[in-house]
Amino acid sequence: MNGEGLWLIAWKRLRKNKGSMIGLAVLIVMIVMAIAAPIITPFDPDVQILEYSVKPAGFRGTVIYKKNPSDESRPVILAVDSYVIHADSVLYNDPAGEPYRIHISKLQGTSEDEWSDRPLFLLGTDRFGRDMFTRLVYGMRISLTVGVISQSIALLIGIVLGSLAGFFRGWLDDVIMWLVNVVWSFPTLLLVVAFSVILGKGYWQTFIAIGISSWVDIARIVRGQFFSIREQEYIEATRALGYGSLRTIFRHMLPNAAGPVIVLATAGFATAIIAEASLSFIGLGVQPPTPSWGQMIKDGYGYIALGTNWGMTLFPSFAMAIAVIALNLFGDGLRDALDPKTSQR
Amino acid sequence: MSSSSRIVPLLLKIFSPRKLGYTLLVLIGVVVITFFIRPPGDPARVLLGQRADSASVEAMRQQLGLDKPVPVQIWIYVTNLIKGDLGRSIATNRPVIETLKERLPATAILAASSIVIATVLGILLGVMAAWRANTWIDSATMTVSLLGISVPAFVVGLLFVLLFGVVLEWFPNSGYMDRGVEYLVLPMITLAIRPLSIIARVTRSSMLDVLGQDYVRTARAKGLGYASVFFKHALRNALNPVVTTVSAWFAGLLAGTYFIEYIFNWPGIGLAAFNAIEKLDFPVIQGTVLLTAVIFVITNLFADAMYAILDPKVRVK
Repeated sequence: MNGEGLWLIAWKRLRKNKGSMIGLAVLIVMIVMAIAAPIITPFDPDVQILEYSVKPAGFRGTVIYKKNPSDESRPVILAVDSYVIHADSVLYNDPAGEPYRIHISKLQGTSEDEWSDRPLFLLGTDRFGRDMFTRLVYGMRISLTVGVISQSIALLIGIVLGSLAGFFRGWLDDVIMWLVNVVWSFPTLLLVVAFSVILGKGYWQTFIAIGISSWVDIARIVRGQFFSIREQEYIEATRALGYGSLRTIFRHMLPNAAGPVIVLATAGFATAIIAEASLSFIGLGVQPPTPSWGQMIKDGYGYIALGTNWGMTLFPSFAMAIAVIALNLFGDGLRDALDPKTSQR
Repeated sequence: MSSSSRIVPLLLKIFSPRKLGYTLLVLIGVVVITFFIRPPGDPARVLLGQRADSASVEAMRQQLGLDKPVPVQIWIYVTNLIKGDLGRSIATNRPVIETLKERLPATAILAASSIVIATVLGILLGVMAAWRANTWIDSATMTVSLLGISVPAFVVGLLFVLLFGVVLEWFPNSGYMDRGVEYLVLPMITLAIRPLSIIARVTRSSMLDVLGQDYVRTARAKGLGYASVFFKHALRNALNPVVTTVSAWFAGLLAGTYFIEYIFNWPGIGLAAFNAIEKLDFPVIQGTVLLTAVIFVITNLFADAMYAILDPKVRVK
């Protein structure tokens, strides 16, 4: 059994699964968008144009960029209704109709093209006049980061404890399984909430709370796999050859448990995204002004009861649903591709 | 088929002293974890704020028993628990147990009605999808259930509020059913969506599994009609994994109630917990989390029993 060949077979089978490939494509697009966020978004995620708050999708508003003495690269954005150039000054009316005059030297850049703009707010703005599209893309960064970090933590704890229990058995297995059963007694989302209360609000606290809440299934599956692998001849052979426990675990047992663990981690990734959004929604989790989908849904929620500005809730909800569906589709295909039982059919 | 005379020794085996003892061990672990649910740093300082003088913080520490070493604190927590004392709310000074007693019925109604709806509709949809496997009915059911699994409950809740509460105005979108049963509809359906989707999927794949088994083929070969084989032989055997799923998802459902109650302003333990989280009223948070975990552990014990009764293979072991 050549390891590479096995993965190649799995990939070939995965490629035939249409849903799984769609999921993978969506995920790749999302990852690229998250990485390229500063390039593809027109604004800084935290920049507020209060005059343009709560605007519908597709809104365009004229703005003037004023020099920011403290930071050249982040100009002050003025919302204007209309403006005229008069000698060396710009006369403008703000959206409320108040007239203002500003000297051209105080504006960003040298030409009108540089200091004035009429940007498109693709998905509208939130109640602070921040661009929804920009925040949605930056929120994607948070969601993907949460998934990666929390699942890394979960994998680390789950694999270590699962391996120890499955390999050494005996009292160690009893103790670890007791811990697994205790943690498993709490619904995952509730455990995440509980750990967030213990750890406090914030970026890293949220990642850790989700990570230490989601290792149980991984530990269980690793242990189970070890139980079945342990009795097979090639593991007996490692014992006969006098290999140490660590070498046997890492080189010979874990690779054979990799399939189900990867499938679980993919599902856990989706759960982590939901958990982060749920935490932010109830005010725990990643704190403002960091753009997070759950936070955005919470911000927009108040408008739903009023029956206006549904986009503020719907867009981040859809973004999250798309991400989770993509992960689930990909994970389903992965499970079928990595499951040796289905290959015989 | 099993007679009642066989079930009794079976139950004794399932609820053996060993099994019950282990459950008790797990519950002790649950209690210890629950004990540690408190804000980081000095809870007394967190509760009183930065401006409070050190004397009143010290008084608060004593009142909460925080001045004692942690093992002693845990011991006091456990002994009080056995006496049915879950501490007092910091915000209202009301015994937590009273809040839980008052709030539990609302959560129970919501959870129970949801799981019933989810089970009935889920099995129905799953059977339908399996009956017409690989047709548009099948793929439509599976697509919708994928959505149901992927979209978190609180988002479904918001969308339902928007659609049925605000746009169509069919159902009220916030409040308790003491004002009328129609208040139950939206929270119940919202909570049911996720388990419903999962039950539908498990039922379908389990049905297809069973339909591929030798004894089903034999039944068909004997000349039994498809409908008769499908419903009499396959369905009965396919429902075993469904029972396990229903009980396993009861946990997710209990956590789901927290968010659903928050969105629909449903006065159950979840709403009590979230209100407590906002104020860092940790005795109330501890009480609600503990109650949920205990319910879950007991449910699982009974789920094991159900599974054993239904599955002949487990029964023989």
